[in-house]
Amino acid sequence: MSNITELYDAILTGNHKKAVEITDTALKGGQDPKELVDKYMIPAMDEVGRRFEANEYFVPELLIAARAMKGALNLVRPLLLAQKVAPAGRVVIGTVKGDLHDIGKNLVAAMLEGGGFEIIDLGVDVSAEKFVAAIKEKGANVVCLSALLTTTMPGMKDIIKAIETAGARKQVKVMVGGAPVTKQYADQIGADGFSDNASGAVTEARRLLGVG
Amino acid sequence: MPAGRLRAGPQDAALRLKLISCEIFHREMCAVVARSPNQVDLEFMPKGLHDIPAADMRGNLQAAVDRTPAGAYEAILLGYALCNNGLHGLTARTTPLVLPRAHDCISMFLGSKERYREYFFANPGVYFKTTGWIERDKANGELRQLTIQHQAGMDRSYQDLVDQYGEENARFLYEQLYDMTRHYKQITFIEMGVEPDDRFERQSRELAAERGWTFDKQIGDMGLFQRLVNGDWNAKEYLVVPPGHRVVATQDETIVRSEPAGDAG
Repeated sequence: MSNITELYDAILTGNHKKAVEITDTALKGGQDPKELVDKYMIPAMDEVGRRFEANEYFVPELLIAARAMKGALNLVRPLLLAQKVAPAGRVVIGTVKGDLHDIGKNLVAAMLEGGGFEIIDLGVDVSAEKFVAAIKEKGANVVCLSALLTTTMPGMKDIIKAIETAGARKQVKVMVGGAPVTKQYADQIGADGFSDNASGAVTEARRLLGVG
Repeated sequence: MPAGRLRAGPQDAALRLKLISCEIFHREMCAVVARSPNQVDLEFMPKGLHDIPAADMRGNLQAAVDRTPAGAYEAILLGYALCNNGLHGLTARTTPLVLPRAHDCISMFLGSKERYREYFFANPGVYFKTTGWIERDKANGELRQLTIQHQAGMDRSYQDLVDQYGEENARFLYEQLYDMTRHYKQITFIEMGVEPDDRFERQSRELAAERGWTFDKQIGDMGLFQRLVNGDWNAKEYLVVPPGHRVVATQDETIVRSEPAGDAG
C-alpha cells in the first residue's frame, strides 16, 4: 500500500496515475476525505503555487499538478458532498464575449479548484447574461472574468454592470485577469480582485472571501 | 495645366517624417510611403516584439524612438496600434509621435476601428491573414528566447515534453498549451491591393481547408496607412503625442490619449 504522504509528492510532481491510486487506496482504507484534501492535496497545490511564483515551476508543471489534483478530487468530491462539506467558495469563470483565448482562464480554474474551490466553468465567449444566470443559479460567491485582448477587455465593465442590474452584485466578489488587464483597470471598473497570474488568483480569492 | 501645381508653395512643402513600423505592415507601408507627398524614412521592427512582455515591447520601441536624432524630423510616425498595451507609456522626447487609434493591426487593415469591431463581434473565432501575417508571422532568433511563451515554458517541443513529463502528461500538455487557436473557426484573408498575385490568398484558403475552418475574404482599406504617412492626422483616427508626453491606454472607444510624461518617461 502506498504511503499516504506520497499523495503530496504525486500532486507536486504531476503524477496523475499515482495521485489517483493513492487516493483510491486511502479512501477504501477508511481515510477521512476532508482530511485527505486539507492535509495533503491543498498543501501540495499551495506548494505548486509557491514554486510557480518563485520561478521554480512553469506553466507545464502547474498544469500537470492541477491535473493530478483533479484526478484525486474526482474520487473525493462525492464523499465530501455526502458529508456536506462546503467548498472554499463557489466560482463562476469564463472568458468575456468575443474572446476565445482560454489558456489563462483554464490555468486559473485549475489552480482555484486545486485550492479547494468549486468551479463552474462557462468556457469561452461568454455573454453578460450567461454570467449573471450562472451566478444566480449556482449561488456563486466569486466570478472570474478573463480577457486576452484589449478589444474584448471593455466587456468586463458591462458584465459588472449587468451583475449590478440583476441585483447580484452583493452576492459575488468579481475578479478580473488576463494579459491586458491591470490592477488600475480592475479598480476603475469596480472589480473586487485582480491577479496577473494563476497562483495569485487563489490567494486573491481566499483574501476576498476571508478563507484559508 | 492646373494653376499652382508646379509652383513650390506651402501646400507642396513636404514634411520630413520618420516611420517606425511593425514589419507586419511592410508591404502596405512601402506602398503608401511611395505615394506620400512627404519624405518618409522607414524603420521596420520585428513582429516578434508582440510575443514578448508588453513592457519589453515598449522598451524596444522607446529605444527606436530615442535613437532618432533630435530635430531631424517633424514627427515620428508609429506603424503600431495599442498592441496589447505594448505602446502604453511610450514617450515622445523632442519630436512628436503620431499613432493610429486602434487596438491592433486588424483595424489598420480594415480601415477603421468601427469596421473591425463590427466584423470581430459578428465573426467570433476569426484568425486574420494578410501578406505580413503570412510571411512575417514568427518570432525569430534572440527574440524567441524572450517570448512570453518561452519564459512560461510553453514553447517546448513534444519530444521535450515527453522526456520531461512522460508520454501521458506530454499529450495532455500539448493539447492544453500548444494550440492558441483551438477555438478558432475561420480564416479571413484581407486583401490590401499590395499583393503580387493570388499566392497569399491561396495559402490562406489552403490553411483554412487543412484545419476544416471556413474561409472569408475581405477587401482591406489603405486609408489609415495613407493618411498616417500623408500627415492627415485627424483627431478621431490619430493621436499626436507632443514632446514630453506619453501614450496612455484609455480603455474606451478613443483607445489612446497622451499625458505629460513626468518622471515616468
